[in-house]
Amino acid sequence: MTVLRTLIMLALVSGPAAVMAEGSPAPKDSYLYIGWPIEGSVVSAKSFRVWFGLRNMGIAPAGVDKPMTGHHHLIIDAPLPPMDEEIPADKNHVHFGKGQTETVLKLPRGRHTLQLLLADHDHIPHDPPVVSRKVTFTVR
Amino acid sequence: MRTLIWAATLVAFLVPVASIAGDTPAAPDAKVSIIWPYDGSTIRGGKFWLRFGLKNMGLAPAGVEKPFTGHHHLIINGELPPFDEEIPADETHVHYGKGYSEARVVLPRGRHTLQLLFADHNHIPHDPPLFSKKITVLVP
Repeated sequence: MTVLRTLIMLALVSGPAAVMAEGSPAPKDSYLYIGWPIEGSVVSAKSFRVWFGLRNMGIAPAGVDKPMTGHHHLIIDAPLPPMDEEIPADKNHVHFGKGQTETVLKLPRGRHTLQLLLADHDHIPHDPPVVSRKVTFTVR
Repeated sequence: MRTLIWAATLVAFLVPVASIAGDTPAAPDAKVSIIWPYDGSTIRGGKFWLRFGLKNMGLAPAGVEKPFTGHHHLIINGELPPFDEEIPADETHVHYGKGYSEARVVLPRGRHTLQLLFADHNHIPHDPPLFSKKITVLVP
């Protein structure tokens, strides 16, 4: 019985480790999307605007710990990073830690993908992760 | 008649300058806009998500003091309030102090005007003040 209790305790303690995201909680009805460009669109090689859509959650600059907020990360031509770690900062993972809700991008001609991933004050995705659909579009 | 038009134009330009703005500086080239709905839109049922556009600045929840951030305020069927005071909070002036970048709006039948006004952690507009064009929507 004691062994069983210990096992249950162990399971409870180790439980959260099995969950992918360890970030701050996100509301169930949060919705993240890329407002522009939309799937299949064609944008200019000079530059194009990207705007970030987020419903039922707020934006806070990186480092600001407020419940039900986060900041945007734009994933360019790359798969989603691990959900239980800080999002890397490189040319494929652009952080918007100043609380921006839109940006202007310049990409080489060709097909590209964009995906948004919201993360908390520590740059760790929320639990559950708040992630947009991946958009494929053409730069011409 | 021409003199009258000139006088009106002059007043239109002078008024915003004459109003004293808050102490929090706005970023250069910052711009607030209403991404959706477009000016003159007809919205059946009167329920929609209003998307807030913000160029070259970031969002922060009310009370969070970070340079070049603020939060949105929606003015429904009203005029811009004084720029050197806290924006009032009533049914004409809706605050989005959680750092929202869009909001569900429900309007009754009729013609309505919508305008965004950005403000700092103390709900006081920036210097210079950042506000969108005033748009008109029709709910049939």
